[in-house]
Amino acid sequence: MRLRSVTTVAASVLATSLVLSACGSRGDNSNSNSGSGGGSGEKTATIGVIAPLSGDLSALGLGIKNSVDLAIKQANQNKMIPGWTLKLDAKDDEAKPDTGANAATALAGEADVVGVVGTLNSSVAQNVQPILSTAKIAQVSPANTNPALTKGAAFATAPKRTYPGYFRTCTTDDVQGPFAAQYLLEKGIKNVATIHDKKTYGQGLVDAFTKEFTAKGGKVVAATTINPDDANYQTAITAVKGAGPQAVYYGGEFPQAGPLSNQMKSAGLAVPLMGGDGIFDPKYISLAGGAKANGDLSTSVGAPIEELAKGKEFQDAYKAAGYAEPPGAYGAYSYDAAQAIIEALKTSLASAQDAQSARQATIDALGKVSLDGVSGNVAFDEYGDSKTRTLTVYTVKSGAWAPEKTGEVK
Amino acid sequence: MNDIPQQLVNGLTNGSLYALIAVGYTVVYGIVQLINFAHGEVFMIGAFGALSTWFLLFRDNTSVWVLPVMIAGAIAASVATAVIMERIAYRPLRHAPRLAPLITAIGISVFLQEFVRLFYGTIPGFPSAKSKIPFPAIDGVTGSPFHLGSVVIQRPALFTMGALLVCGLFLGWFINKTKQGRAMQAVSQDPDTARLMGIDVDRIIVIAFALGAALAAIAGVAQGLQNNNIDFKMGFMAGLKAFTAAVLGGIGNIQGAVVGGLTLGVAEALATVFVTGAWKDVFAFGLLILVLVFRPQGLLGARVVDRA
Amino acid sequence: MSTTVDRADGANSPDSSAPAPAPRATGKGVPLAYAGSGLMTASALMSWCYDPDVLGDLTLYGNPAPVQLTMLVLGLLGLVLAMSAKGPLRRLGAGLDTSRGAFRLGLGAVAYMALTLAAITAQAGGLVNADPGAWVALVGSLVLVVAGRLGVSRPSRNIGAMRAKGWVEILVLVALVAIALLLVADGLTLRDPWAFVLLLLGVGAAAAGLAGANAFTWLGVTASYHSRVLTLAAFVAAFAFPLTQNGSDANMSIATQVIIFSATALGLNIVVGLAGLLDLGYIAFLGAGAYVGAILSGSAFATIDWQPPFLVTVIIGALFSALLGLIIGSPTLRVSGDYLAIVTLAFGEIFRLAMFNLDGNNGPKITNGPNGIPAIPELNFFGFDFGVTHHLFGIPITRFSNYYLLLLCVIALIIVIFSNLNNSRIGRGWVAIREDEKAADAMGVNVFGLKLLAFAGGAFLAGLAGTIKAHHDVSVTPDQYQFLESAFLLAAVVLGGMGTVGGVLLGAVVLKLLPEKLRFFSEYRLLIFGLLLVLMMRFRPEGLVASKRRKLEFHEDDEHLADKVQTIHLEEKTS
Repeated sequence: MRLRSVTTVAASVLATSLVLSACGSRGDNSNSNSGSGGGSGEKTATIGVIAPLSGDLSALGLGIKNSVDLAIKQANQNKMIPGWTLKLDAKDDEAKPDTGANAATALAGEADVVGVVGTLNSSVAQNVQPILSTAKIAQVSPANTNPALTKGAAFATAPKRTYPGYFRTCTTDDVQGPFAAQYLLEKGIKNVATIHDKKTYGQGLVDAFTKEFTAKGGKVVAATTINPDDANYQTAITAVKGAGPQAVYYGGEFPQAGPLSNQMKSAGLAVPLMGGDGIFDPKYISLAGGAKANGDLSTSVGAPIEELAKGKEFQDAYKAAGYAEPPGAYGAYSYDAAQAIIEALKTSLASAQDAQSARQATIDALGKVSLDGVSGNVAFDEYGDSKTRTLTVYTVKSGAWAPEKTGEVK
Repeated sequence: MNDIPQQLVNGLTNGSLYALIAVGYTVVYGIVQLINFAHGEVFMIGAFGALSTWFLLFRDNTSVWVLPVMIAGAIAASVATAVIMERIAYRPLRHAPRLAPLITAIGISVFLQEFVRLFYGTIPGFPSAKSKIPFPAIDGVTGSPFHLGSVVIQRPALFTMGALLVCGLFLGWFINKTKQGRAMQAVSQDPDTARLMGIDVDRIIVIAFALGAALAAIAGVAQGLQNNNIDFKMGFMAGLKAFTAAVLGGIGNIQGAVVGGLTLGVAEALATVFVTGAWKDVFAFGLLILVLVFRPQGLLGARVVDRA
Repeated sequence: MSTTVDRADGANSPDSSAPAPAPRATGKGVPLAYAGSGLMTASALMSWCYDPDVLGDLTLYGNPAPVQLTMLVLGLLGLVLAMSAKGPLRRLGAGLDTSRGAFRLGLGAVAYMALTLAAITAQAGGLVNADPGAWVALVGSLVLVVAGRLGVSRPSRNIGAMRAKGWVEILVLVALVAIALLLVADGLTLRDPWAFVLLLLGVGAAAAGLAGANAFTWLGVTASYHSRVLTLAAFVAAFAFPLTQNGSDANMSIATQVIIFSATALGLNIVVGLAGLLDLGYIAFLGAGAYVGAILSGSAFATIDWQPPFLVTVIIGALFSALLGLIIGSPTLRVSGDYLAIVTLAFGEIFRLAMFNLDGNNGPKITNGPNGIPAIPELNFFGFDFGVTHHLFGIPITRFSNYYLLLLCVIALIIVIFSNLNNSRIGRGWVAIREDEKAADAMGVNVFGLKLLAFAGGAFLAGLAGTIKAHHDVSVTPDQYQFLESAFLLAAVVLGGMGTVGGVLLGAVVLKLLPEKLRFFSEYRLLIFGLLLVLMMRFRPEGLVASKRRKLEFHEDDEHLADKVQTIHLEEKTS
């Protein structure tokens, strides 16, 4: 027993530290949060955000976060829900499904969380949906366009709602595509080439477009795809150019669409490029080469923001709040999503003891929400999709998007 | 099928770009038997260097005389990056097991990408590099394309091919006629004997890195003009493809890099015509594996060292 | 277990087993060391900060908060060191390099206090908010540094030969594992990034002190004598982990991802660490398993309408993965070194692009392209539904805990396979190939067969983990399996220490857990990751936990180390 003394000392050290840590409890005032604004005995409910707050897509993600933050601040200011203070808890998903799942589990574990705005990516949503739905937390996405998220695997033939707590304020592809098709036909454009980036959004858009366009007498003269990781689209352009299209319909987002339009025109294919709300972004025009982009078209949901009183209000308030990042393509949808949740909370929290017990009621109330939002009327159909059918076609005029035509999808 | 001539032109353009970058892999490999995985990032930094020069000195001026200055800026940025990289990261590992420099290269590659992404936009007056940045359309080398029957030849494509031609001639002269170039050949054949003959091997290695970086920088400008935009991720795929080109031509062999680049470009373009555009990268990587397995010395052949 | 060997060893170096000679040179430092660690210990009972909202209320006297408890532990550790230099623990001091230990411990404590003061400054708005306790702790730490500096370092002491009673050693090991478990469970609940970093730093300071005092050498030797006990204890602790979570899934979802990542990294370790074949496309094997798992899961999005029992799926997934491993391994007949790395990288990219293109648009509809296969149902073993919470003795075992426990079994299997392979004829064959392929071939080692086996075996394990990952993740998409993920896996292996189990586990935990806990840092995550790879290769290429043999490869000129490795080999032979 050469080391007996060691053992003795170790034991005594252990005992001492045990005694020290056991003596007296530390008051439980530690969980008083400094941000709740003066302990008026108000209960708190939290609205979560799951979006990419770092990485490539962080510009969009931060726009989502800020817009939700704005909606929550306004609700608190106007005492929209008496007796309750709303809080924001934004989690980063890095645009990765795994990280998104962690974020969702963390939110699901917080008793205060009643609703979540997010995600940006449909692929992340697939992982987040089951976790939030098990915890009965309402989820409203401002950006997911994959129809399967609401209508299940057989969304085209046998739609079936899989996650009753999931809603979205953006429209799905099967609304925008047909609207674009109708517009082009109206303009007398009968021969169109389609290109998409193979992602859910782009492919869905092109499929919906093609269906409507051919049904109404148009002709898709060439169809091809690009790899969104590429930066040079010459091969795709060459592939469609020979068919002599009068316009190119592109399914995808502006980081690819801008250069594509630019390179099309450089390669002598001087026809307008048309796309969905994924390309409706000022950055598209700068990537497409400014003046070179004149005449390019996009569709976006709702009437033009500038023409709606609500839209103007939102833009002004966003500016006044002084966020570092612009609202981005999904700011308006996110603001509407947060507003929809707050509207539902008015009903569900009214008689609730605590936030956790109001979760199911919030989901039920969300289904019945109807309010005037920034992107138009916010209401959800039986699958959780936005009911809005109002869309606007925009065109690039002297370096900016200008509204061309607003209408309803038939 | 009547796209074939046009796709060939596209292929040659891309191929020229691959060739310009591939020279960097091959020169360095020929001398230190090191696959400088971060070379794609040197190419990316070249493009950003050109853009920065333009922002700092010319903003809104797109006259053609701006171009040489932009190229000089690109070369300065790339060469500085490559030389620092060699000095800090690779030189201490010259006698380490082969795994070490390769892992270092991956680290440098990730680091440089992130560095540009995070900090480029923090320089006052520069746009954020978190997404694609439009590249200035310089007069003369961009704009209305030339028509050759049904085939369209764009100005940036001509610039790229011209750049490859000029660089190729310069390289030929440099390697064969200058003292440094001949010293490079000597080191590549037998570093120990070369050292005994009084050649400063460290210096030659630095020159090799710088030479490859300069060509990659020119490729960076060419790509910017061609695609009208650049981003921090542009180096990864380009680097991989250029490496494929270098292997295809026979790594360590400079003519081989050029031949390999053009071959790869054309092969990809033909794959687009006969198979489909979506599989062209798979095609390129499949080609890489086949060459490595069945003809590791490449098309033109090269000194194959035992790379265990 | 041969006690004779170390007795003999002890006899060779009599000064370590004999009662310690009076430490002549350390005399000056010892009183200072007592003073310093005394101050540190006492400071934990004082108020550190005026503002109660910083770091969990540091304002109380005689009632230490977690941040102060860490300092208390550091102070007590300092006292132990001082006592073993001159005092009741002199026997222990005979083997310890107390001066160096005190010096490093002091430095660690200084860093700890510096960060604490920084946190107080940042959160309470100014250094004025720091109370005397914090300054006392800082002074104590500085005194300890000085004390360590004044003493004379005695690195030659052979503490490894000191043995205690078997049960005491086992008890110490078990206690250490228990402490580790509690630390992890406790650290994970910290939501304040400052507190989390402080805890890490505190553990680091303690470790630095112990390492400086050569205590880890003793621990290493002891651990290798009782390796079975240690492994068992570690697994018991790992199994107990979900019980500490009190039904919360927030940490369990991270923990399961850490385990999946670790399991895959261990598979890669067979290929890279044992056989020395650099694989830059390894994530594809995990992906292959995951895709098989998803396609045969009966998800509404699956393209094949056949749902075999999960065990069959696992075997199909693992075999499919192994088949890919064979295919990608076959070029090793002709290609090696850097070229092989490139072949595997190209293969990884081909896998991702193929998954991307097999969408019915550019190829047969198998994987749904970029959209992947979502809505994968939960696992169900003979009626045991992994998706719902079960109860064990009244403690809730949540969904993620279910997967965690299953994955733990998988990783145990992988570790068993790994360590048995490592010490087998196959493992030695791999090492021979790694060191010198031609010599190995000449000695009659079946080089090609063994290389293929490494690839196929590694791929098999990754595929196995992949099938479970598919169910755990609920969806499978191609962009989860890109090159960067392979780079991360490789980094885990390299960071932790190639060819070791513990090191790779450590590397995997560091790479997966830290980004989750240091969210505020996430924008700079990749930047630091890149820098870390470069620095590791430059300064410690053998990894955090290096196998001795590996270490020698990277430091060929270190003769001292070479002797050590030889001794260990000889010992292995005699025991």
